[in-house]
Amino acid sequence: MSYFFDSKNTEQMPKGRVEGIAKVTGKAKYSAEYDIPDVTYGVMVGSTIASGRILKMQIEEAMKAPGVIDILSHENKPYVSGFSGMKEMPDNRFGLPIFYTDKVYYNDQPIAMVVAETIEDAMFAASLVKAEYEEAIPETDFAKKAKEVSLKETENDRGSVGAWENAPYKVDQEYTIATEVHNPMEMHATIAQWKPNDKLVLYDKNQGVNRVQSVISSLFDIPTDNIHVISEFVGGGFGSGLRVWPHTIAAVMAAQQVKRPVKVMLTRPQMFTMVGYRPESWQRVKLGADKDGKFLGVIHQAKNISSKIQGFSDGITRVTRKIYGFKNVKTEEAIVDLNVPMPTWNRGPGDTTGCFGVESAIDELCHELKLDPVDVRLKNIAPYEMETGLPWSTNYLNECLEKGAELIGWKNRNPVPGSQKEGDYKIGYGVAVGMWGSGRSYTGASIDMQKDGVITVRTAMTDIGTGTGTGMQNVAHTVTGIPKSKIKIELGNSDFPKAPSQGGSRGMASVSSAVYAASLALKRKVAGYAWPDKDANTLNIDDISLSDKGITYKDSFLPYADIFGKNNLNDIKVEEFAGPGEERKKYGFCSSAAHFYKVKVHEKTGKIKMDRMVIVADAGRIINPKAAANQVIGAGAGGIGMGLLEEQLIDFKTGRLIGNDLAGYHFAVNADVPLIEVSFIGKPDPNINPSGAKGLGEVGIIGAAPAIANAVFNATGKRVRDIPITVERFFNA
Amino acid sequence: MSMSRRFFLKSSSALAALSFIPNSVKAFYQDVKEKFFVKKQMIPIQLEINKKQYSLTVDSRATLLDVLREELNLTGSKKGCDHGQCGACTVHINGEQALSCLTLAAMAQGKAITTIEGLADGDNLHPMQEAFIENDGFQCGYCTSGQIMSAVACVNEGHTGSVEEIKEYMSGNLCRCGAYNGITEAIQQVAK
Repeated sequence: MSYFFDSKNTEQMPKGRVEGIAKVTGKAKYSAEYDIPDVTYGVMVGSTIASGRILKMQIEEAMKAPGVIDILSHENKPYVSGFSGMKEMPDNRFGLPIFYTDKVYYNDQPIAMVVAETIEDAMFAASLVKAEYEEAIPETDFAKKAKEVSLKETENDRGSVGAWENAPYKVDQEYTIATEVHNPMEMHATIAQWKPNDKLVLYDKNQGVNRVQSVISSLFDIPTDNIHVISEFVGGGFGSGLRVWPHTIAAVMAAQQVKRPVKVMLTRPQMFTMVGYRPESWQRVKLGADKDGKFLGVIHQAKNISSKIQGFSDGITRVTRKIYGFKNVKTEEAIVDLNVPMPTWNRGPGDTTGCFGVESAIDELCHELKLDPVDVRLKNIAPYEMETGLPWSTNYLNECLEKGAELIGWKNRNPVPGSQKEGDYKIGYGVAVGMWGSGRSYTGASIDMQKDGVITVRTAMTDIGTGTGTGMQNVAHTVTGIPKSKIKIELGNSDFPKAPSQGGSRGMASVSSAVYAASLALKRKVAGYAWPDKDANTLNIDDISLSDKGITYKDSFLPYADIFGKNNLNDIKVEEFAGPGEERKKYGFCSSAAHFYKVKVHEKTGKIKMDRMVIVADAGRIINPKAAANQVIGAGAGGIGMGLLEEQLIDFKTGRLIGNDLAGYHFAVNADVPLIEVSFIGKPDPNINPSGAKGLGEVGIIGAAPAIANAVFNATGKRVRDIPITVERFFNA
Repeated sequence: MSMSRRFFLKSSSALAALSFIPNSVKAFYQDVKEKFFVKKQMIPIQLEINKKQYSLTVDSRATLLDVLREELNLTGSKKGCDHGQCGACTVHINGEQALSCLTLAAMAQGKAITTIEGLADGDNLHPMQEAFIENDGFQCGYCTSGQIMSAVACVNEGHTGSVEEIKEYMSGNLCRCGAYNGITEAIQQVAK
């Protein structure tokens, strides 16, 4: 059954999202919320050391607790072909080989899972599980170890390295960003249920059902088709759902072991250690320009935290090679492996981090040269895709800058730091930009039409809050002509046509193409049934339109009842796939955004308040105006977190996280965020795909943090190069 | 019988630290534990949820949130932290905002509980639900039930004098998608 669309209240539909009613009434079912008979509860237990080996699990007391069915660990687990016979860590492509190693690589590494009859039983028993360890001294201090790790060439250099050195005006600065944890509101959860004949059903929180299918398939050596993954509602992701994490694998193992369905939901503290985070980073930017602010060269170096289990490079310097027309570029990166949990992609991975370095350095340069930061950026925007030499298909970053400057009233900004005041607050304005490579991936969609003319559009792609379903409905409506109230959407299910994960801002650009293709196919197929004497494939597609009642071709109209009747049909089905093609060889593609922020800084307390945030984005055609604006607003709120609030601290001695819950780790709450002003350029990209949508999820956060830091500098003259700008960092700067 | 949840949590974290403690202290702690630890106990309770009476036998340690979600399949109330830090589990008890994750089910007897499932009048949505749809006051939807329950309380309690006042009142309900514009605008719309 689908919970996504409540057809009883179709008159509500045009006002909001297709799944709106399900979400505001509590009927939407997230992965832990399916009512599965005979379900058991799994609770993960983490290690209490950060490095070493488990000598012995101590589970006797826990096993005696009421309701406990079994306790999985490396001493007690079912056979998993992908983990058995595994070579030494690292380099296991599945990440942590849960329950297949006695080694401990980080604190709170999952070492056991209690399975019990009720959630209370499982939680209590989990608190009784202990282990005897052989402890080693962990490496946990990024700043300390980063100094010992050498940089490596990214092998993407352009021009001459010395160009930077010889420039008349130079900036050479270091920037750091604290670890940031995704923390979607829904904690990661899985219900695993084995069925006869090696069939497996997974209700799982993730961003890509086909990805989960393929990972579980190769780990457990069962055919992909045997695995049914359902992720109809996903309570946020931001990248944490792009991988299959140990708890999902543990749930599958436990369900096999106890021969009953197992439900596991991580606790909030486990959300900090078991499903990735944006790694802490260090950057050095050396930027050279002439007296007019024309960039002559740049050297960008970066290092990020990685785990001992699997190397993870965030790709921090990529953005530098992209946004501006640097003819001379050198980029170097390194990963710093520590006894910490595995990092992963977090909203705008790499580019968000890299932009803080580069966009801050540009602001420093502009201040030194006494040039306007908007003008300098306009002067330096990449005239074509610098790495491939291909012309931009579309890139309206210049218009984003011009429009943003106008909306915030940039011309009234006093460039002299600390010169503007409102009451007890100093005020300042800052600008920064962001860019993200856009593209689409091979994606399927099907449409199923019933006799009453109601169509159901389906795809395996998930909607993690991005408005995928609503976008699919909008495209199907625009192309077929069928009213939205007659278009149902079903998604996030591996039984539906295959689709890539919802990530990297590719969701809408990809799925809109598939729905477009399926909508055209539906028109032709219905026309073929309506007028069998005509060759449907040769009809001009624009002359065919569908409505809630029937099909029109030029002046002819036929009701659905007649078409279904005379052809003896129960339904009409089409399935189409769409993906990138020749256009990738001809053009470079990007989405971009300009951030113009006004901050207020309290002189005595160091309190920083976001007063106004104007974000202008070029994301091609906007398919869902409300949801698109909401995406950018949310990204801006994420940017406030990165710039001012979010910081995961670690106790270097034990490798334990400090403040690892929502009281200790602060992301932006309602009062931290002003009513964000969002605008779009809105011009369709004619080459990327039929809809002209370029993707939007990432660009709203890329450039947000440096815009805040630049505004703080304008307000106070304090250049904060280490974020988040907490009160102590502000006063120490 | 009714040990607080806080005591339970403190005791279990004390247990985790047990391995570092000398044997004599351990033995003393075991004695204390035998005497004071709340053992699993199944108790009969009556709850009134969304104007419907339920007779249940629940674990004395069960929170109202877990009883709603795991026993009654009323999964509209969300678990976002289980520690009263995020607001996703907000319900109304006797017409007032309450965090169902910090309320033991047994404590909610004899009180009128309203969850998100009980807010609409049949198929007719509550004006706040309509306003959330119209103003796109959500993205992923996971915090939405709690946001709406708090939003209704915000209007009922008259904290809608300004954007700032609404934002301050609503800051106990976290939204990681950051749909704060829509949430604030939905409340403004209903308050008019």
